[in-house]
This record gives sequence, C-alpha cells and structure tokens, in this order.
Amino acid sequence: MESWRKVRDVVRKKIALFVFLGWVLLIVGDRVDELRVYQGAQIAMYTIALTSIVLLTGYSGQVSLGNGAMMAVGAYAAALTLNNLQTPIWFAFLMAILVSALFGALLGSAAARLAGPYLAGTTLALAVGLPAIANQFSFLGGEPGLIFDVGFPPERFGEEFTQYKWFFWIASCIALVAIFVTSNILQSRFGRTWRAIRGNSLAAELAGIHASRMKVLAFTMSSALAGLAGAVLAMNIGLVAPGAFTLALSFGLVTGAVLAGISSLPGVVLGGFILVVIPEIADVIANRLGDADKLNSYLPGLIVSVLLILSVIYTPNGPGENLRKHLRKKAAH
Amino acid sequence: MQKVIETLLIGLTTGSIYALMSLAIVLVWRSTRVVNFAQAGQAMLATYVGFEIASRSGVFWLAVLFAIVAGALVGAGVDYFFMRVLFKHANSGPAAVVAPVIATLGLLGLIRSFVGLTWGGEFKTIESPVSTDGYTVGSTTLPFSPLNTLIIVTVSIILIALAILFQRTNLGLALRASAYAPEIAKLAGIRTARTRTIGWAIAGGVGAVAGMLNTANNFLTPYSLDLLLVFGFIAAVVGGLESMVGAVVGALVLGIGLTIILNYVGTSLVFIGGFAVLILVLLIKPDGIMAKGKGRRA
Repeated sequence: MESWRKVRDVVRKKIALFVFLGWVLLIVGDRVDELRVYQGAQIAMYTIALTSIVLLTGYSGQVSLGNGAMMAVGAYAAALTLNNLQTPIWFAFLMAILVSALFGALLGSAAARLAGPYLAGTTLALAVGLPAIANQFSFLGGEPGLIFDVGFPPERFGEEFTQYKWFFWIASCIALVAIFVTSNILQSRFGRTWRAIRGNSLAAELAGIHASRMKVLAFTMSSALAGLAGAVLAMNIGLVAPGAFTLALSFGLVTGAVLAGISSLPGVVLGGFILVVIPEIADVIANRLGDADKLNSYLPGLIVSVLLILSVIYTPNGPGENLRKHLRKKAAH
Repeated sequence: MQKVIETLLIGLTTGSIYALMSLAIVLVWRSTRVVNFAQAGQAMLATYVGFEIASRSGVFWLAVLFAIVAGALVGAGVDYFFMRVLFKHANSGPAAVVAPVIATLGLLGLIRSFVGLTWGGEFKTIESPVSTDGYTVGSTTLPFSPLNTLIIVTVSIILIALAILFQRTNLGLALRASAYAPEIAKLAGIRTARTRTIGWAIAGGVGAVAGMLNTANNFLTPYSLDLLLVFGFIAAVVGGLESMVGAVVGALVLGIGLTIILNYVGTSLVFIGGFAVLILVLLIKPDGIMAKGKGRRA
C-alpha cells in the first residue's frame, strides 16, 4: 500500500508538471509569429518521433533506421481514415497509432530474432522500400500523395486564431500526452525489463524475463509512437506523400536521438529543437556566404553529420551523461 | 522464352554490381564487426574522383584505376582515423552497441555533404567505354548491351583476383586469420590492426569499382549509390554476412530476383521485394543460404 501511495504521488506531481508545461507552451504560442508557431509544431512532431527511438534504442537496445517508414504507415492510416470515413480528427490519430502498432508487432516478431547490425540493415531496407509502395496502389495516391486536412480551428477560439496555431496546439498536446505516457511506461516494470535485456539479454532470460517477447513489445510501442508522429507530420504539411518519408528523415531522427542522449526522455525536446534549428542556422550561413543553392542543400547535412560523429565519439550516451559524470567527480573531491 | 533469358541476363548484370558492394560490406564486417553504412559514401567519393579523371582524360579505364586508388585510400583512412578513435572512446554505456552503426551513418552523411558541396547535386555522367545499345539478333533489339557484357567480365576478373589474393598469398592468409580469430592471429605474429586497415582499403577499392560500373549506365548524384548500399547489404545477409562466396551468390540471386519482380510484377515493388527477400532469409535461414549449420557469430 505504501508503495502504491508513493507511485500515486509521483504520477500526480508529473501530471502537474505536464499541465504546467502545456500552459507555458500556450503562453509562448501566443507571443511569437506564424513561422515560429509552425516550427513549434514541427518540434512537437520530432519530439514524438524521437520518443519512439528513445524507447526502442535507448531502452530496449534495438537500432532501427526504419522509423521514417513507420511514420509513413501512421500517416497513411490517418489520411485514409479521415478521407474515406469522414471521422473526427482524434479518431484519425487513434487509427494511426493502432495501425502502426499492428505493423510494428508484425515486423517486431521478425526483428526480435535480429541483433544489432542485422536489425539496422533490415529496417534500412524497410525505410527505402515501404514509402515506394504508395506508387504501386492507386488508393494510396501515388507520388503526389493524399490530402490530410484537419480543418480550420474551431470558431470559438476567435478570428485571431490561425491555422498554424491550431496545428501547434494539436501537435504539442499530442506530444505532451505521448511523453507523459512513455515516461510512465519507462519507469514501470517494462522499462526496467528492457534495460535489463539491453544490459545483458542472457542474464535477463536467466532471471525469468521472456526477452524476445519484451523486444517485440518495445518494437510495437515504438512503432505506435512513430506512426503517431507520422500523422502529426502529415497534419503539419497538409498531405501524405512518399517524398515526405525519405531515408534522410529516418537518418535525421537517429541523429536527433543520439545528439540529445539516446536513453534520455527529456532529451527528446532538445533533439526536436536541434532538428528544426539546424536547417535554420545553415540557411543563415548560406545566405551570408552567397552561393545559397548548393550550401542550402548540403550545409544542414554537413552540420548534422559532424555533430553526430563528434557526439557519438565523445558523448555517446548524450550530453546529460557527461554532465552527470562531471558533477559526480566534483562531488567526490 | 526470350523475355526469360533477357531477364536472367539483366539480373546477372545488376547482381554482379551488387556483388561488389556486398563483398565490400562483408570484408569490413569480417574484420571489424561493423556493418559499414558509409561504404556507399566511400564508393561515391571514389566515383566522383573517377568522374573528374574521366571527364578530363576521356579514358574510362584510367578513371576506374584512379577511383580504385581513391576508394582504397578513403577506406584505409576511415579505419585509421575514424574507427580506431571510435572504438577507443565509445565502448561503454547504453550507446556502445549502437555507436558503430550510428557513426558510419554519420560518416555517410559527412561524405555526402562534402561531395554535394564540392560537386553540387547535378546529374553527372561517365561515358561508357563501349556501346550501351542492346545487341540485335535478327530484327529484335535485346536490352542486353556490350556494357552489360563488360560489367559481368570486369566483375568476374575482380572476383578471381580477390580469390587468388585471399587463397594464395600471405596477405590473404593474414586477412583471413585476423578475421577468424584476432587474438590467435596476434599471437602468431600478425599485426592485426594493420591487417584490418588493409582489409578496409581492399573493401574501399572494390566498392569504388561498384560505383564506377553503376555510374557507367546511370547518373551520378550524391544520392545515386544509396540503393546499391541497401541491395548490397541485403545480398550480404542473404549470403550470411561472413562468407565472401555467399556474398557473391546472394547478390546474383538478389539481382535476378529483383529483375524478375521488375519485369513481371511492378516497378514500385522492387524495393519492397528486396525487403521481403531479406525478411524471408532471416526468418528461414538466418545464417544465410551458404550456412552449414554453424551458429552465427554476432
């Protein structure tokens, strides 16, 4: 009983924290201009996608390069639901979660047998292959894709309330809920089990953990989150097309997760921020230096890759880890 | 019947290019236990060097030679300046398992942006040394051209050269020994670190040829070799990721299989077909089609 009360306390505090965060976002959303609001929606989208990677790679120790493909699954599921069944928006997002979870469970059953590089390569093949399917079947809309329109903001928010702010609200609301749920899962029995498997799967199995079943579960949950992120991305850009779910997106997500600390859940916000800000910075530099065309296309990639390489060599477990080590050293002195 | 033979021949051509990429991946995997996703980037950089030589001199084979040298140098450089540093630093914590994969991805991005900033994203072409028009038999023109013949012949020569290198020379023995049992090889007096760098150089050279041959009947852009990497990896896994013969057989099977899908099923399903092949092999024979019942060394 005692421990249950403790858990309830922690969860209550966490809910308070997330409500406060939501309120801060609400205030910030009112103070900045349209472009920033839109970027805020993108950050929220990346945050959800990175949460899925932290769960999968940071906790259960499986490397997936196919999160972009899972986002595509979610986005198409949402768009097909919304366009064909004229359902409310929330139902489209729910379908995105369900369909991509189902897909993830199927794929996860195959993936659970694979270790490290095999899994990475398999999901890489998925990231290349899956979006191209849209070109084969006409109900998926081919190269131009499907429209995904969540509609105008409700009228009671007033005339001032813009479309992008509506996107921002939906996206950050979903992101907050997603992170809240994930953080609870990661602190529960599941999170501990995943960490045990990541540390030493043989020892974990000897301790009575069904390792492959837990891995499939991690893959399923991670896919569900990725699918949700895909639906949010589709909302932000207004359509679902194979061109939106490139290999570059999958790589970018892994990069963001590593930069922010692969096993740190609060880091995902930093990661999302980095992914949105870097192209912006590159843009500024490119305009300074002239020859904007070439620089615009390749400078973001250069900055991201250099950051990725440096961080994987020097802070492989995220900047937070180094900071903690540093503080511990100081405390010991 | 004619379409069947055409499909086989085209499949053999694409398969033999995959075979080179797949060999490069297997060579690195055997020596370093890393799937080198940067292999496509290394090959691309080497192919751009080849493109410069080809557009200046107009001699295709000179360009191939330079591309091989460039590819080997880049490969050795990646191992010496990059992988060694990586293994020294990233060896603990939750990221240790994923660090090599992520690092080679970062390297792929780095090389891609370097190439993009240097040469731009425009389509480049390297002129094929022989005709790319299909042979004509009677009144019909086959899709199989002298270039396809040339590709198959070149790849065969490289494979024979590699076989001789690995089976008949001291260097080959050292390479095999340090891949099979690094500790024992070290005790036997082989400088395993240096041998590993040589292995990376050979892989780089082989990858460069794959890039050059792929570009001879195609375009070259900073992204044009990505698919080669994916299919090369699939072929390597189909072959078991350990065996060089397996890599070649896997690549030829994959090449022919994908051409069958392309000709008989649908163009957009080629990629997902490759994925299906990969999943099937991993589920049915996870040690690859050449496995003899021995467990996989992960």
